[in-house]
Amino acid sequence: MSIGFVKNWTLVAGALLLGMGCHSTAQAAAHASGENLMRAYCSGCHQEHAGGLERISAIRKTPEGWIMTLVRMRQVHGLVLGEEVRDSIVRYLADTQGLAPAESAAGRFALERRPNAKDVDLGPDIGVMCGRCHSLARVSLQRRDADEWRKLAATHVGQWTSIEYSASGRDRPWWQIASGPQPDKLGSMFPFSSTAWRDWQARPARDLSGAWVVVGRVPGGKDFYGTARIDREAGGDYQAHYKLADIAGFEFAGDSKAIVYTGYEWRGSAQVGDRALREVYAVSEDGNRITGRWFDADHAEEGGEWIAIRETGPAEVLAVFPQSLRAGSTATVTLVGNGLGAAAASPLSFGAATVATHVQREAHRIRALVKVAPDAAPGLRTVSAGGALGRLVVYTQIDQIDVVPGYAIARVGGGRIDPVTAQFEAIASTRLPGGELLGLGPVEAEWTTSAFDAEAKRTEDEKFAGHFDKRGRFLPSPAGPNPAREFSGDNVGNLTVLAHAPDGKHTVEGRGHLVVTVQRWITPPIY
Amino acid sequence: MSELKPTNHKAELLLDAVAEGHVAEVLAMESVAGCSTTFDPGWEVDPFGGVASLCQPMEADLYGCSDPCWWPAQVPDTMSTYPGWDAGKPSAPGDWRDLDSVFPKK
Repeated sequence: MSIGFVKNWTLVAGALLLGMGCHSTAQAAAHASGENLMRAYCSGCHQEHAGGLERISAIRKTPEGWIMTLVRMRQVHGLVLGEEVRDSIVRYLADTQGLAPAESAAGRFALERRPNAKDVDLGPDIGVMCGRCHSLARVSLQRRDADEWRKLAATHVGQWTSIEYSASGRDRPWWQIASGPQPDKLGSMFPFSSTAWRDWQARPARDLSGAWVVVGRVPGGKDFYGTARIDREAGGDYQAHYKLADIAGFEFAGDSKAIVYTGYEWRGSAQVGDRALREVYAVSEDGNRITGRWFDADHAEEGGEWIAIRETGPAEVLAVFPQSLRAGSTATVTLVGNGLGAAAASPLSFGAATVATHVQREAHRIRALVKVAPDAAPGLRTVSAGGALGRLVVYTQIDQIDVVPGYAIARVGGGRIDPVTAQFEAIASTRLPGGELLGLGPVEAEWTTSAFDAEAKRTEDEKFAGHFDKRGRFLPSPAGPNPAREFSGDNVGNLTVLAHAPDGKHTVEGRGHLVVTVQRWITPPIY
Repeated sequence: MSELKPTNHKAELLLDAVAEGHVAEVLAMESVAGCSTTFDPGWEVDPFGGVASLCQPMEADLYGCSDPCWWPAQVPDTMSTYPGWDAGKPSAPGDWRDLDSVFPKK
């Protein structure tokens, strides 16, 4: 095998790039470079066939999927690529053999590294074949025809040769299934060619430059809002400059450098305040909305939501902080959005039985002191500001606390592997006179744990597995054998999560389930 | 499963759960995307959705997992893919702090 064998290809790629939605000659040149590099570095092993390279040209993946492919080529086959070469090849493949937004929608949570996500359901056959090791989102984020899925099964049995001997392999004719009906089914569900991808490639490219209004959610922390200035560089990448403030009024700024793959997959590296963050966002088809999840560069489990809309967009309330007010209370309410009415005479209403005073208006933010009448009827209020509409809930008592997520995994850490924390929120609801539950949003709570079952009580999991901080984040205990435990066991645990939210003179309890388990040593961008 | 005979209490429990149709329920309820659902005995959680039936301490059996490629998405397999992962670290219970993640950060 000639690893890293470089062929001297000279090809004119311009004709191939027509119709790919390239922004500019700079991007077209990048594609040409990426294709040249791919041929140069990959064709030593992947033979040229029918105008493409064996296997590579028969697969479509997300940017993360192609990054993982190149990492595997390095680790398993010794392919050494410089950082710039690798980035060029990933850009080229993600742009020309990527997924349309409709194709990546179901598995976005995996790209966004959302912790404790419920997986996509691909049925029991694929669940037991692929989902026993991987997330099924990983499967849903690839496109191949049946023959190529069949080759993937062969790759698996060649590389992980005991695959037929672990549970769900040894108890059925694994190879006959993996090489027989399963690839046909996968090829039918996730085929290489699709109308969605053809349509996406034909759509006009969007330039994201301009001014944006931003709202961010911070589970367990203070949500924020502000503005973003996005500038496009000559090569087609973006720089963003953030001016933000949290709901307590603390102002902070940040900068991001981002690549937009496949015309909509925003991947940013940001420095916001003192934190290094990663941004996995999707740009809407019209180019006027950017949504997704940001997370800590070293702790993907710690992050939150991001929504950005163009400042020039139609009237829209992007967020109301807080989402609910108690009858008889007075609180500062902040509206964020477009077309809220900056003029003093612009209409502003928080709904029946509310009075707004001390109104401060800015172009994309209104702050007001809102007093709710003690006898206000509980229920949903329509917030009206300028031409934009939002929603606010008035309530008299909290009737239910849902611990979200209801089931979570945390992992012990130590040595070279960081712990994985688990962030919980207490989501309150009130019951209306008609019996309907109405969500009030997250509320503060006191967080504790108890043994989930008799075995967890016997092994004192609550004592060993870790503890909560005040914001509802579970901090697992250190990894490694613990001589103080039975069999020197690790600090794992099976715990019930208890949230006690104050409501006047009472507290309302919510319950969740937390498993504190061992670390993993393989941490790719898609599990 | 019908051809296997339980040889200990844990196996009997699993057999009972299978007979009563509880295993599928457990898997559906207690899985987080990306966690292994191969339960012999399980990496993150055991067949009952807890941790009591996992190998403990995990380090005592870790190389018994990496050598035969038992959890190939969670633990680097030293059989084919990462033969040098545990090089110079002969004892997992003693050397676990020096075992690194195999996916590069950059």
